[in-house]
Amino acid sequence: MKTAKHGFKASLLRHETILLFVVVLEWLYFNSVGPRFGSVDNTFNILRHSVEIGLLALVMTPIILMGGIDLSVGSLLGLCAILFGKFWRDMDMPIPLAAACTLGVGALAGGLNASLVTWLRLPPLIVTLGTFSLFRGLAEAITRGVDTFTNFPASFLFLGQERWLGIPAQAPIFIVVAVGIWLLVHRTTFGRSFRAIGFAPEGARYAGMPVERRLAMAYVLAGIVAAVAAIIYTSRLGQAKADAGMGYELFAITAVVLGGTSIFGGIGSVHGTLLGVAAVAILKNGLFQARQPEEFADMLTGVLLILALASSLIPKMLASLKARRQTSFTKPIST
Amino acid sequence: MKKYFRELSVAGALIVVLLALAVFAPAFFQPQPLLSLLTREAPTLVVACGMALVIICRQIDISVGSQFAVCSVTAGLLAAKGLPLPLTFLASVAIGAGMGMLNGLLVAGLRLPSIVVTLATMVTWREALRWLRQGQFVNLPDGTQWLGLSQPAGQWTLIVTAIILLVALALATKHLTAGRFIYAVGTDAEAARLAGIRPQLTTFCVFAFLGALVGLAAMMNVVQSPQVDPKSGSGLELKVIAAAVVGGVAIAGGRGNLLGVFAGLLLLACISPALTHLRVEAYWEKAIQGAIILLAVVADGVRSRKQSHSHG
Repeated sequence: MKTAKHGFKASLLRHETILLFVVVLEWLYFNSVGPRFGSVDNTFNILRHSVEIGLLALVMTPIILMGGIDLSVGSLLGLCAILFGKFWRDMDMPIPLAAACTLGVGALAGGLNASLVTWLRLPPLIVTLGTFSLFRGLAEAITRGVDTFTNFPASFLFLGQERWLGIPAQAPIFIVVAVGIWLLVHRTTFGRSFRAIGFAPEGARYAGMPVERRLAMAYVLAGIVAAVAAIIYTSRLGQAKADAGMGYELFAITAVVLGGTSIFGGIGSVHGTLLGVAAVAILKNGLFQARQPEEFADMLTGVLLILALASSLIPKMLASLKARRQTSFTKPIST
Repeated sequence: MKKYFRELSVAGALIVVLLALAVFAPAFFQPQPLLSLLTREAPTLVVACGMALVIICRQIDISVGSQFAVCSVTAGLLAAKGLPLPLTFLASVAIGAGMGMLNGLLVAGLRLPSIVVTLATMVTWREALRWLRQGQFVNLPDGTQWLGLSQPAGQWTLIVTAIILLVALALATKHLTAGRFIYAVGTDAEAARLAGIRPQLTTFCVFAFLGALVGLAAMMNVVQSPQVDPKSGSGLELKVIAAAVVGGVAIAGGRGNLLGVFAGLLLLACISPALTHLRVEAYWEKAIQGAIILLAVVADGVRSRKQSHSHG
């Protein structure tokens, strides 16, 4: 695991600190290119647009910390958005009840992933690839590929489009989830066990940790938060279609990996993920303000993910280089 | 018999589906629609063979759909520029192999997890294509469709090509040293290394080979229509992974058989016509595909659990 480093110099070289510099540089660059970029309106705009992906990235962090992955969150967002519309329009539920039912669906879907991963010990990659197809397919089947849910009441659209106490109305939800997950990962024994499981699952099992229960918890949490993201998404756009949240899993994984969480598990932080979300969101919005096509920004996200993955190897390589040098130093001394 | 239980059960399921179709929807067996069905699936079969090898090697590649689109469009552009057909085939295979090599370099060279690497390359290729081409179709010159042959002759050529490739690869994985290397690396990379195999090189070659097959498959698809659709190949990765997993390729590597993959592919290919004949709406196809993938991995999980219990 991470060795405890203290002091100002060491904290300067931390992954999160470097990423913070990158985010600031990105900000300054786009601010000098596009005149409207740095305005308060646009800042809130970036925040508004990154809430859903941010939520998915936040709950993806514990999963990747434990060495797992969830490819189904984007599809689940789509399915939940559709079902939310269905509950409200076709089953005449009031909005709060429809939202509660949607959260229940999210928990169930997360539970499906969790039970397949833990009971049968199937690789999460292929399980969530299957549910990735299943959830999106169900959304398409329910809407027959064309049905769109619109005309939501203004009181509901307030959540996604208006301001509350001067900030975007969905921001408080995001902040609450972010603080909650940060506390869970960094200030509780749960968080410690996440890292221990990601670092060495068998070791964690021998140490008496309920590995299965922790894994299940993370996947169910991801399902519930994906449902929350679906409701915010529907409110922001004012409509729900079967293609809602398509490709969001990639952005979430990119943000997590960019934020310094090792894709092999065991190392990572929630504040790193938040910085990763910011880096991707600022890049997308900045390119949009600079009138670059959207596809270009999406392509850069893919390239960014590859670069982030490759750069995550650098500390490992440095460590092995250091180890080699140390052994060569110690040999002559010991003889 | 017991060794091939998984493959035989897939073949059995296929026979049951075909029998059910024979009873409830005999129209399914008219020769012309059946021939078009097989022609449509021929490129998928070629990609599925390559994907099976990658999964047997304990890796995965979800960028094949994007690779397929890139190969199709570039091959179409080259053909439209007047490049002769055989050279276009070669170019498409080379482009595919190049993209496969990039995946192989990142996975085997830098030892990054293949799922995330290919997720990234999938998006990169797809968005790059959208950015550069803005979704334009490519019109192909005369004589490209059906390789300049009549339609039935062209269809049979494609089907026979795919089948020959399948049989050759099935024999190669069983009898050639290179084929056995893939199983060895997928079963236990460290043990394979101690036995003198280079696991990283094997992994790299498998990715490059899959890329080349994707290039070939893209051409086999391009010659089927007068235009190249830049969206062709979307969802291909799920289709071929589903075929491999349903056909008995273990996602944990080291186990699988290309003939089983063939049976798995046919089983999945029958679903969408079966749905239409049985009057279920086609929108359910994706959901059913996902459910079948889950069912197949659950069956494997239960089986391996039972085996590990009986062995103590």
